[in-house]
Amino acid sequence: MGRGSRVGMSAFVAFIVGVAAILSLLLGDNPALFGEQPGSDELARRLALPGDALLRLVVIIVAVSIVIGIANLLFAHIGRLAQRKFTSAVLLASFGFTIYWYVTRQGDTSLLEAVQVPIESSLAALLFLSLAQGGARVMQKRADIWGMLFVVVVLVVLLGSLPLAELAPVKTWSDWLMAVPVSAGARALLLGMALGAIVAGARALLGQDRSYRG
Amino acid sequence: MYFMRLRRCVGAVAKRKASNGSGLMAENTIALVSFVLTLMVFSYVLGDLPFIGILYRVAVYIFVGMTAAFTLVVSYEGVVLPYLQDIQNGETSWTTLGNSADIAIFFTALLFGLLLLLKPIRSLTWLTNSVYAVVIVVGAAVAVVGALTGTLFPVLQATVALPEDLSTDLSATMDTLIVFVGTMTALFYFHYQVRASGDRGGEQSPLSRGFRHIGKLFIVTALGAIYASAILSSLTILTERFSFLFRFGA
Repeated sequence: MGRGSRVGMSAFVAFIVGVAAILSLLLGDNPALFGEQPGSDELARRLALPGDALLRLVVIIVAVSIVIGIANLLFAHIGRLAQRKFTSAVLLASFGFTIYWYVTRQGDTSLLEAVQVPIESSLAALLFLSLAQGGARVMQKRADIWGMLFVVVVLVVLLGSLPLAELAPVKTWSDWLMAVPVSAGARALLLGMALGAIVAGARALLGQDRSYRG
Repeated sequence: MYFMRLRRCVGAVAKRKASNGSGLMAENTIALVSFVLTLMVFSYVLGDLPFIGILYRVAVYIFVGMTAAFTLVVSYEGVVLPYLQDIQNGETSWTTLGNSADIAIFFTALLFGLLLLLKPIRSLTWLTNSVYAVVIVVGAAVAVVGALTGTLFPVLQATVALPEDLSTDLSATMDTLIVFVGTMTALFYFHYQVRASGDRGGEQSPLSRGFRHIGKLFIVTALGAIYASAILSSLTILTERFSFLFRFGA
């Protein structure tokens, strides 16, 4: 089989599966779409079947691909051990210990509490420093009207969140800001993201965006 | 400084160990490990000092190893194991097609998953790509349906909905109008269009420029509020971590 026909084969599979999935997800399990006619429930249920089967298929493929990805990570770090990379040994030991803990002490969450939660929350806490530093740099590099507006909004929201009686007027402003202009901007951002997702999805379904060619 | 505090903590834990039962001992061990790991992550602030710089990296590598292990466990326990148990029980079925269809779906998925391993063999790449194609287009279909029914229609409906007490409450009417104008102009800001004008290439019409400026005002306001919310969240977590460190160190 030539390269062109093999690429065409992948695109054909993508198109058939994509059309079946989107029609099934949109029309399935929704008897109201077919009116009060007899058998509309059965029709809706049957239309939902291909989408359901495809979703289950993809969920299992993704789970298997996660296992392959983790195996790849481990092999990469085993390879780095030969170069005497101390941190790779730490990663492999951490992985092995967690699996051992899971196998021998099922249902015990103390490892999660002792290691995972403090590291995650400490990393999230470090984000504060990065955000504060980033905000200061933005103001240094972009001292225009939009930069000023950005800083004013940040200050109003931050001051509005303080539980001080003296700042009650700022709290009123902050509440209005969140309910009206921020809500409008956030809705536009959400709509933009949704439209972007639809366009990207449609491109993949129509075979215009063949990122799976490798 | 770190080591002095650590020695004090270890000493405190040892004292508590001697006086209390095993439940408290486990609690103290968890607190001690949390304390040490928190300090290791916070050592990032000190920069790349000798012996200190490695602490942050070790904490991150522990985190990556543990996250990989937990992800593996969740993938197995949450996805593979339930399906495996279901196909072994002939009376249960995910679909109305029956247990045999479930078995077919499960083993097809496993086969497709294993086909991903053929990626390095150039002549068989098309097989792997076909599996990727199935995963990507099903993901795209879910994204399109989710974006349509979960975001686009509800947000548009909420934006054009009028308040119930429209005639009596002027401020609510004004707020609704501002939200509507803000949403539309901010959406317009994303759409860039110019009018062709001879040799100069193109220029925006004054009306278009005005709409874009109004839209930008709302977007900058929204981004500022999102940024402030992120700062507040991380500040809350930072306060909790410092509170834990001081409580444990005292």
